[in-house]
Amino acid sequence: MDMEDKKAGKVCVIVLNGRLDAYSSNKLDDKINSLIDNGCQEMVINFEGVDYISSSGLRVILSAVKQLRKNQGDVKLACLKPYVMEVFDISGFTQLFEIYPTEEEAVNSF
Amino acid sequence: MVSITIELLMDLLEKISVILVIAYLITRTRFFHEILDKKFTRKNMILFILSFGFISIFGSYSGIVVDGAMGNVRDLGPMIAGLVGGPIAGVAVGLIGGLYRYFFIGGITTLPCSLATIFAGLFAGIIYLLNRGKFIGIWGAVIFAVAMEAFHMILVLLIAQPYSAALAITQEVYIPMIISNAMGALIFAIFINNLNKERETARERDEYFDELTRKKYELEIAHEIQDSFLPHEMPHLKGYDIYAINIPAKEVGGDFYDFIPLSEGKIGITIADVSGKSVPAALFMAVSRTVLRAKATSNCHPSQVIKEANELITSDSKKGMFVTLFYAILDLKNKTMNYVNAGHNPPVMFIRKMGDLECLKTKGIALGAIDTMEPEEKEIKLEKGDVIVFYTDGVTEAINDKEELFGEKRLYKLVKVNSDLSAKEIVDRIKDEVIDFSKGLSQFDDITLMVLKVDDQKKNKMNSFEI
Repeated sequence: MDMEDKKAGKVCVIVLNGRLDAYSSNKLDDKINSLIDNGCQEMVINFEGVDYISSSGLRVILSAVKQLRKNQGDVKLACLKPYVMEVFDISGFTQLFEIYPTEEEAVNSF
Repeated sequence: MVSITIELLMDLLEKISVILVIAYLITRTRFFHEILDKKFTRKNMILFILSFGFISIFGSYSGIVVDGAMGNVRDLGPMIAGLVGGPIAGVAVGLIGGLYRYFFIGGITTLPCSLATIFAGLFAGIIYLLNRGKFIGIWGAVIFAVAMEAFHMILVLLIAQPYSAALAITQEVYIPMIISNAMGALIFAIFINNLNKERETARERDEYFDELTRKKYELEIAHEIQDSFLPHEMPHLKGYDIYAINIPAKEVGGDFYDFIPLSEGKIGITIADVSGKSVPAALFMAVSRTVLRAKATSNCHPSQVIKEANELITSDSKKGMFVTLFYAILDLKNKTMNYVNAGHNPPVMFIRKMGDLECLKTKGIALGAIDTMEPEEKEIKLEKGDVIVFYTDGVTEAINDKEELFGEKRLYKLVKVNSDLSAKEIVDRIKDEVIDFSKGLSQFDDITLMVLKVDDQKKNKMNSFEI
């Protein structure tokens, strides 16, 4: 799993590529925590290159949104492939996150 | 003159070869390793100082005498001793070599040469302290040796009398001495570097094995926790056939199922999947299962059970842990099932009368995700021959060697085709297909399957306890 982070104004954007399974989820968790520790409040996760997400992946994203919303921040999601969307849908997480078709729309929604 | 220089250089290099063999043997000893680990004891310090003192004395001699003085590699002993063992060792070795030079070898350079050897140990010790006890590295050691020997020559020129003789000696020996001491320092530093790398690798290997062992125990513990919270017997329900299995992945995923006896003629049925893996997942599974049981026995509406269970689980879920869960209350006599789906893979129901499948979905979200929820509850009517297959994503997300998912379609087809079989047979059939599908690949996630079937013929199953 490759992950790249960048800034779009105040918003931190993480672009993911590959399988978000139990192993890569730990990496993503570290990445998100270090961004939050560095003061990131508004986050967009771009799932453009993600074909698979496990429950560990959902856990990391849920943990991020819980932490950020405590401080009036948020996590928004972009570019979910159909399979990933289905996983979000089954678990009910689509009700929990704002999901956008493109990264740009997600960034601009803040 | 050039021939003397070359002859001296060759002679010193020969000497160094012998010294390095001795040095190599020293680096393999336990006391040397203890010094490298900075576990200084009186014993290892004495052995260390004596060894390098011997090297220093041995290095004092070469076969070539230049105007009464000898080219030598005496400073090498204290330099290495100081760089590796610190100022005390450096100075002590320097004193051994220096005093030996002072009392047992004569000539006009006696005083400066003795002092140089003591200074070599002192400077090396200071470098050790400045570098906080870390070995200075290969090139650091070489540069130090070159500088030290240049300093040695300057001392001879400053102190030895007469100056003309001191100059003549210096001109003769400075190139061979600088080169040979630098070579000695280089090779010795390579020994130490290699030794340090070797030790580092060994340490990493040990840590890795420790980690593996710990991981293995952790997996076993997770297994045990999970296993101890799963029912080990199937309930015998009059008019129904029910069967379930859980095949944990090597790294358990916290799947569970449960049968909760409620008031007469009613039973709670659940299947769930906890986020994450291993011990955290197993513990969260144990908590979720217990919370659900407690709430289920005090409430007869699945939506209320889930709402209350969620509140407890969310308050316990610190790191984003959550559990997808399907909970139903089966009314045995009235043949109805009220259910709530909290973000779980929808169970699939084969409706005999229509010969078709239906997914048991409700609007819901995994427990632990949000503080309060109002889960939707639905009711279905069951009829003879109907089959409900409950499962976790370990079934549909099993992968084959072409990285294809097992998927719902294959599962649905199996349910339809095998709906005439008993609950256990249906479970086994699906399980075999999934295992066959991902043949040769390691199982990624727990596989949990449960089948509830409404008896379609008058069977006599009176040999079992009933709820």
